[in-house]
Amino acid sequence: MDSGLNQPWWIDLIKALIVINLVMAAFAYCTWLERKLLGRMQLRYGPNRAGPFGLLQPIADLVKLLRKESFFPANAIDLLYIAAPAVACFTALAAFSVIPFGGVWHVGDYVITGWIANVSIGLLLIFALGAIGIYAFLVGGWASESKYSLLGSMRTAAQLVSYEVSLALSVLGVVIMGKSLSLVDIVAEQQATIWFAAPQFVGLLVFFVAGIAETNRPPFDLPEAEQELVAGYHTEYSGMRFGLYSTAEYINMITLSGLAVTLFFGGWGGPWLPGPLWFLLKLGAFIFVFIWLRATLPRLRYDQLMRFGWKVLLPVATLNALVTAILVALL
Amino acid sequence: MEEFIVWVVWILAALSLLTSGIAVVLFQNPFYSALALIGNLASLAVLYLLLAAEFVAAAQVLVYAGAVVVMFLFVIAYLGGRADAPWAGKPSLQSLAAVVAAAAIAVEIVVVVALKAGDQLSTPARIEDGFGSPAEIGHLFLGDHLLAFEVTSIVLLVAAVGGVILGSAVPKEKRS
Repeated sequence: MDSGLNQPWWIDLIKALIVINLVMAAFAYCTWLERKLLGRMQLRYGPNRAGPFGLLQPIADLVKLLRKESFFPANAIDLLYIAAPAVACFTALAAFSVIPFGGVWHVGDYVITGWIANVSIGLLLIFALGAIGIYAFLVGGWASESKYSLLGSMRTAAQLVSYEVSLALSVLGVVIMGKSLSLVDIVAEQQATIWFAAPQFVGLLVFFVAGIAETNRPPFDLPEAEQELVAGYHTEYSGMRFGLYSTAEYINMITLSGLAVTLFFGGWGGPWLPGPLWFLLKLGAFIFVFIWLRATLPRLRYDQLMRFGWKVLLPVATLNALVTAILVALL
Repeated sequence: MEEFIVWVVWILAALSLLTSGIAVVLFQNPFYSALALIGNLASLAVLYLLLAAEFVAAAQVLVYAGAVVVMFLFVIAYLGGRADAPWAGKPSLQSLAAVVAAAAIAVEIVVVVALKAGDQLSTPARIEDGFGSPAEIGHLFLGDHLLAFEVTSIVLLVAAVGGVILGSAVPKEKRS
């Protein structure tokens, strides 16, 4: 793909290392931001004991999770029970490899690209990883041998499968306009023309709503509705195993925000500031909206969720793709 | 060096393909069988990648390893306790016929590939630049293979409509 550029393999390795650590740090401070913002929106302070403004809270949480006893249901199936959270975390992290966060820099003789991999199937790759990620929730809940876990993972699977269809259809318009499945190409196309948020406004709305459901965020957090299911599929998990699930959920939210920025808001493009900074700013704005929604909206009922997904979101997404295809063909 | 890595990946993927395929039929618990099936489909996707068919590999994972097997697992987990007694019957005529049929298909594939390839099996294939890319596959779907593509889509549509009709038919005594 990038042949002809002077790019030894170790540059990719270093970039991957940096991005993974940045995403992990972003996850840690997402939890802080979420608690802080929720606190402010509910007229409380939020975490303010560990460090200035509670900034050390994520580190304290990490230490707490690591030192907690990782209990283990007696009837759990060991291998699956242990592997499931790791798979969840892996698929969440891996998706970031194809999201571009900057342009092309020249450092000395080397060319450094603002993405780890530019593959012609970038968008499909992200959806494929998301599809594998469902298994982590399903298998983890099943392997815990607990009714709450099983019910939670059934709900998760049903919800994710339902909304995945709308999510995939909602980006079809962007793919048609960008004429590529590669995220790098889609960003380049937006910089040459216009941010796809304007012509693909309906697609953006569907993408965002389906995305909230895909990441199990409120108001679509049915899989872990604590009044009904204790904690859903991760009821029987504790310590860092629970931590991995929680990491996966937050990173999924970050990835989804990154994807929304890339597909609809011109990716890393923007005036004056360097690309990665623009990317971070837009990402932060999306994450803020995610948290804002959590503080604002109550949870849906399960039948409402399913009805909305299949009878409203899916037809709208299909119609959007259809109309986009016709317009692009005509104009 | 690159050739060596390709060989290693190919051998690993082929081995995992075969073992997971055997595991699918040997596991007594259907949940494990379905998990092995995911492994099988994923290793197949790796083989597609080695053949420079990125799009097919991604579609394979997305559609088969993702959507289809999720449905299998969903149903299996709903139906069942893991305590289900394993099937204890003896090999029947049916299973014997299945083995024979599978072997016949395997032989057929080998024969067809050998005949088609002739003596070129050891020469590396020449692959054009766009080979296996989404754009190229789109051209093939809507150009050379338009009829097959459209017929397949009708089959899928019929299946979807059938699913809706089956799902919406409520027996009379259950209506209230």
